[in-house]
Amino acid sequence: MVEKYLEGYILLLTFPKGIHPDGHKHLTEDEKIAVMPVPAKVFIPVLQHSGKPAEPVVKVGDEVAAGQLIAKAGTSGANVFASCSGKVTAIEDRPCTTGKCAHIVIENDNKNKAITLEKLKSPTPEQIIERVVYSGIVGMGGAGYPSGSKLKQNKKIEVFIINAAECEPYINCDNRLMIEHPGEVLDGAKLLQTAAGAERCVIAIEDNKPKAIASLNEYNAQNNTGVEVAVLKTKYPQGDARRLIFAVTGKKVPQSSRSTDYGVMMNNLHTAYAVYQAVREGMPSYSRVMTVTGGGIKKPSNLLVANGILYQDLIDHCGGLTGDNIAKIISGGPMTGKAVLGTDYAADKTSGCLLLLTNGEANTENPTACINCAKCARVCPVNLMPMYIDLYHRAENLDAAEKYGAASCIECGCCSYVCPAKRPLVASIAHAKNKLKERMKK
Amino acid sequence: MSELILSAAPHIANKNSTRKIMMNVLIALVPSIIAAIYFFGFMVAVNIIICIASCFGFELLYNLVISKEWNKAGVKNSTVWDFSFAVTGIILALNLPAWFNFSNQAMAAGIMPKAIDIIGTIGVCMLGSLVAIVIAKMLFGGIGRNFANPAMLGRVFLFLCFPGAMSAIGADGIGMEATTGATWLVDRSNSGLAGNLLDMFIGNTGSAAVGETCAVAILLGLIYLVVTKTIDIRLPLIIMGSTAVFALLLDGLVNKITGMDLLYNMIAHMLSGGILFAAVFMATDYSTSPNTFIGTAIFGVGIALFTMLIRVFGSYPEGTSFALLFMNVLVPILDKYIVPKPFGQKGQRKQKKVKAAETKAQEAK
Repeated sequence: MVEKYLEGYILLLTFPKGIHPDGHKHLTEDEKIAVMPVPAKVFIPVLQHSGKPAEPVVKVGDEVAAGQLIAKAGTSGANVFASCSGKVTAIEDRPCTTGKCAHIVIENDNKNKAITLEKLKSPTPEQIIERVVYSGIVGMGGAGYPSGSKLKQNKKIEVFIINAAECEPYINCDNRLMIEHPGEVLDGAKLLQTAAGAERCVIAIEDNKPKAIASLNEYNAQNNTGVEVAVLKTKYPQGDARRLIFAVTGKKVPQSSRSTDYGVMMNNLHTAYAVYQAVREGMPSYSRVMTVTGGGIKKPSNLLVANGILYQDLIDHCGGLTGDNIAKIISGGPMTGKAVLGTDYAADKTSGCLLLLTNGEANTENPTACINCAKCARVCPVNLMPMYIDLYHRAENLDAAEKYGAASCIECGCCSYVCPAKRPLVASIAHAKNKLKERMKK
Repeated sequence: MSELILSAAPHIANKNSTRKIMMNVLIALVPSIIAAIYFFGFMVAVNIIICIASCFGFELLYNLVISKEWNKAGVKNSTVWDFSFAVTGIILALNLPAWFNFSNQAMAAGIMPKAIDIIGTIGVCMLGSLVAIVIAKMLFGGIGRNFANPAMLGRVFLFLCFPGAMSAIGADGIGMEATTGATWLVDRSNSGLAGNLLDMFIGNTGSAAVGETCAVAILLGLIYLVVTKTIDIRLPLIIMGSTAVFALLLDGLVNKITGMDLLYNMIAHMLSGGILFAAVFMATDYSTSPNTFIGTAIFGVGIALFTMLIRVFGSYPEGTSFALLFMNVLVPILDKYIVPKPFGQKGQRKQKKVKAAETKAQEAK
């Protein structure tokens, strides 16, 4: 009994500090992943990753099939594929969550033609990496870093960590993937481990997803995959790479160095699923599971969404809005997602969540004066002093802001979350961080 | 669709607010208020009301003078609505004696000496509020930017103006109730009324500041503050713990107290004077306490050290307010030099070591 208690509560892996926001996971926790039908038109952005936008390789009027390469990656970036069969009707600039980029507009012809690549039964590491690079797979947790570039390195990797912490409130896409497709996810993890040449592979899950843990363990018991399942204490920002590495391996990776220097590589769980699809099913990355949730939507659900479907179509599919009190529409989670003005944005590879927050849920308070309570410093997982960085940044004293750690900020938002004065601390620190970067370049 | 809000992440926040924190402190102060009124009479209630009202008035007036908006919007936009003025007002009133004796000094046998005392006490309360709110808080930038605890500065100002009344040396004739008397710190005879430890714990003892006698009420407030996560319990613990240690070292050993008297002396030091009240309600003031744990520890030990130094070697019987004021002024320096290292980053010394090892390895190659 005592041992069980210890195992359950004290011995669980985690990292120091951080916050415990309300999960709100129950909204979509038990909603099965449903396939979102492709509407009449999709708008596929050529910038769905970090790096440079991909170059379109199709012209207006071309007939394309799902899975066909429509934009090729430049020096940095990832390939972009058509998500439905039909005709390219336009290539136009539209707003996307990171600003503005070209979107390839495809008119759906409902013929459901699809191109698949060769299915690999027992691929070599090189074959996997080649397939990952070609398939345009990016980090699907939100950062969008091309996975191929990550795998193409020659450092010795001890542990490959699959990030299934999903620490942000509301989101459930990784959770549902683990519950419904444990085999695929574990196989994808195994493929990533092979590609990176890692000795161990660990899937890290927070303990607020008991069904997912049970599902993976059950599959592991039947087919010995060799992928370990690590259960973590639920805390935000557990999904941050360096926090998760500390929780799983105990290694402290500073913001200035790469995790591969410490023998660790990490990828998101959905990325592992995308790798499985690309290698075993020959399907490039052009769709993903997305959680459409929040108090503002009538029917919160988990959907398999093809790239380029507009948010408005998703909202209509989920029964529309509950009322007039929508305060914020957010692409991504409530802690690090981007607020958007309107529903005219297209879903892409990195958007795991469409969140519609009502006035009651979203923080709509105006900031007041800092009372120096140091609650921000107490929760900062990187040991910064956000109140001083904010203060000195506003006073345009960048040296002092740097001294209190502005350059090490991971922009998790814990400081803003706990601030009783509702100050936009993380925005201020991120601004200071960018200014410091610019100064470094000079 | 209504108007959408476009703002930077995070989009959710916890429900805490400055006003809620102040409300928590106000609730935590309730036991001390009740105890003070019970032991020192109705005048405490009058003082508290006067202090709150004048703190409100002065802060609002300051806001209006600065913003030049002499209308409803100016009142609405002023900083009084976070209710920090009420905390300052109550703590100030609890740090004052129930009465300030003017009738004895001015007109020994004049008409209605009691009325003069009441008017005088009210005037003193208003003066203290003026110093606390305008000079200590608003002139330095309002909430969060004050260099010293406003109530503490108000108290010290009044202490220097009216030393007799404030240190309870001239306690006779001030007009206190049955518990009138000098504190243990003034009259160190453990046989006297003032020296009973149980009386000290309950608060049934004479004192200058009405709020600091009842340890039970203060501890109730402490529990409430800790349970609501308004303050970190470590700071009060550090202050009280180091008070005990310094009572043993400075008072016990220097004055050659032996045996059980040593223990009695230690506990009496912790229970008398303003140290417990200051440790719970004043040292934990957000803006005037350090923002790192190491800084907080130094701050707490410093308060205890200077309090005991003043008590044992100084010319005043009680020194908590001066000790706190001194450490308050040190806080910016503590926060400047004690900065935690970012996660995973090695210290300068360690970095040098690593570099030296690397260059050695290269040379060896």
